[in-house]
Amino acid sequence: MERLLHTTTSLCKTCKEAVAASVIAIGTDVWMKKSCDRHGAQDVRISTSVDWYERTRATKQSFSAPKVVKKEVELGCPFDCGPCTSHTQKVRLPVVTITSACNLDCPICYVHNKNDNAYHMPLADFALVLEHLKTDHGGELDIINLTGGEPTLHPQLFEMLAMANAAGIHRITVCSNGIKLAKDEAFVARLAQFGARIALSFDTFDPHTDKLMQGAHLLDIKLETLRLLDKHGVDCTLIPVMTRGINEHEVGKILEFGLARSSVRHIEVHTMTFTGQSGTSFQADGPSPRSGRISMYEVLEEIERRTDGLLVPSDFVSSPCAHPLCYQIAYLLLDPDGGAPIPFTRFMPAAELYAALSDRLYLEPGPRLEASLSAAIDRLWAEGDEDDPETQRTLRLLRRMLDLMFPSDRPLTREQALRAGEKVIKAVYVHSHMDEETFDTERAVDCCDSNCYADGTTIPVCNYNVLYREKEATFNATPAHWGERRGGQRSFILPVLR
Amino acid sequence: MISTRLAGKRCLVTGGSRGLGRAMCEAFVDAGAKIAFTYSTDDVDAEASRAALIAKGAEPLVFKGSVADSAHVTATIKAIVAAWGGIDVLVNNAGVTQILPIALLEEADWDQVMDVNAKGAYLMSRAVLKSMIRAKSGHILNIGTFASERVIEAPVHYAAAKAALRGMTDALAREVGRYNIQVNLLAPGLLDCGLAQMLPKHRLDEYLSQTALGRLGTAAEVAQLATFLVSAENSFMAAGKIIADGGL
Repeated sequence: MERLLHTTTSLCKTCKEAVAASVIAIGTDVWMKKSCDRHGAQDVRISTSVDWYERTRATKQSFSAPKVVKKEVELGCPFDCGPCTSHTQKVRLPVVTITSACNLDCPICYVHNKNDNAYHMPLADFALVLEHLKTDHGGELDIINLTGGEPTLHPQLFEMLAMANAAGIHRITVCSNGIKLAKDEAFVARLAQFGARIALSFDTFDPHTDKLMQGAHLLDIKLETLRLLDKHGVDCTLIPVMTRGINEHEVGKILEFGLARSSVRHIEVHTMTFTGQSGTSFQADGPSPRSGRISMYEVLEEIERRTDGLLVPSDFVSSPCAHPLCYQIAYLLLDPDGGAPIPFTRFMPAAELYAALSDRLYLEPGPRLEASLSAAIDRLWAEGDEDDPETQRTLRLLRRMLDLMFPSDRPLTREQALRAGEKVIKAVYVHSHMDEETFDTERAVDCCDSNCYADGTTIPVCNYNVLYREKEATFNATPAHWGERRGGQRSFILPVLR
Repeated sequence: MISTRLAGKRCLVTGGSRGLGRAMCEAFVDAGAKIAFTYSTDDVDAEASRAALIAKGAEPLVFKGSVADSAHVTATIKAIVAAWGGIDVLVNNAGVTQILPIALLEEADWDQVMDVNAKGAYLMSRAVLKSMIRAKSGHILNIGTFASERVIEAPVHYAAAKAALRGMTDALAREVGRYNIQVNLLAPGLLDCGLAQMLPKHRLDEYLSQTALGRLGTAAEVAQLATFLVSAENSFMAAGKIIADGGL
């Protein structure tokens, strides 16, 4: 029994031309089906829960279009990026690729890198990126992500951090595999001076899996990196990539590890994407090609299973400023006495957490969050069971958070209070990137994560990884060339519950 | 700003180790006063305050303890009177606050805030009054808050304690006015120290947008106002309530 859920535009997994696609419910699964004139019929399972997929996709988003549009629609989505006039979201997570150099060659790498005659973004270009982000996307810049390659190999990384600081960005994240950090404590100490956060790839505790996914045994390096980050007070996000049959069973252990480490503020679980210089060929052969593909909902279920229900799928909400199928977000209140962390959704309705996220990717202090927490406290106190230990524990932990942020014996500065509050709150994100097979222009048009260029061009990250980066000489000794770019989606007449 | 407005006046400021308390100590010394201050916990801040006063040529008397502890209060006043022969000015500045909604405000929180902010002022005032009544002269200045004077969101126990100070100011002023002791209350708005540092930016912006001057006060300028209020030039104000909040 098949049921059409919606149609969209995807890509042929071979030639990457745009093709019409149908998203269909088959039993409890959701499949994308499409056909390329040259490469035939293709299908891929994109969710194991029709209910979750439909419910999540129907989430009402908070749209805020880019102030400056760089391109008119000519070829149709995803071939007019810049952004084009169809794009619905301004950049909320600016991603700046500052180097093509990398000191690893991961078998799962989903981007293209180049070490010979490596590209390092000039400071002048970085200054232009910052300026464009301010003028083209509404002025307020609260986060930026520096990536590569391996950004710690950029010879002027600290100058860039200083520039980002000077631009008033208070959350500067730097992606890293940790190799440079583990070996250079002074480098970590300097990161602390700039308040930078490290987004550390962390896929496994198993040496065999390490070799399979990263191409090297890196666990000791990751642990040493985390030790130094803890020591120097550098916050970090752990980024495990989940691959079915390889490491998805470790997701609980990684979450519990991250929740217990003082330097880890977030854990951002990615689903495996089969694109880029190595990802395209990862598990390409064998009896079950790409058997490692795992959907967002499977990861959520795996998290529930592997954490004994610490987090369940209903503890997660979509991001209001991205397509709802791209991010799932859970926030947790920590118990310094060693009790289990408490997901926010256990003391406030998911709709309130969603509203508190407002138009940001991360919870930020503001009137909305303040009102949500006040309402949650009042509700627990007035309506909760006085004899229920969990209700009382939740109230105690909320009280403790306030005591940390607003100690009665001495005032903290706003920044100190914010950091004190952050110490007892952690977030778990599940982020599902797209590759050629799963590409869906409905998601691409709503993307708020974009790769940013000095000329002000911004390209949604999935579009960039799948289509644009491979064509740039900066990242490829032999750049790919565009095909005919046929079949792009020229308009979005029936958007999702806009 | 050097003046002789408080020349020879023997002044005690509670909670003098930082913020407005320290600024008042410094301003009083600049105006020629002898200074003593109390503090409750932070030795580092207290030493910094003492050093700043010594640098101005003062010989501060410094006492550590809680104003809510009657033994500490008695011992402090006794020591000051023994050293100086009396006290001309008391500023009840010591205070604590907690940012807590009513749902999380436990009895112990209420007691602590009321003890320091209200009972402490009562204990200190009562202890210095003997000396002031004997001298038939004195100034007691209670430091209140705009939060008890204006309709704004504030922690319930903190607002209640500061409102109690207002009542105490009125009643005590009437009771000891006959001895030429003037009791007044100064209620500052948000200053560049203390609570304003902790407020979320949107709260601070909202506050400033509603004030006539559109800026935070400085501890130094409120301290100047306090200097006048406890001086001989302020000879006819009693049970007064002075709000310095930039026009909220």
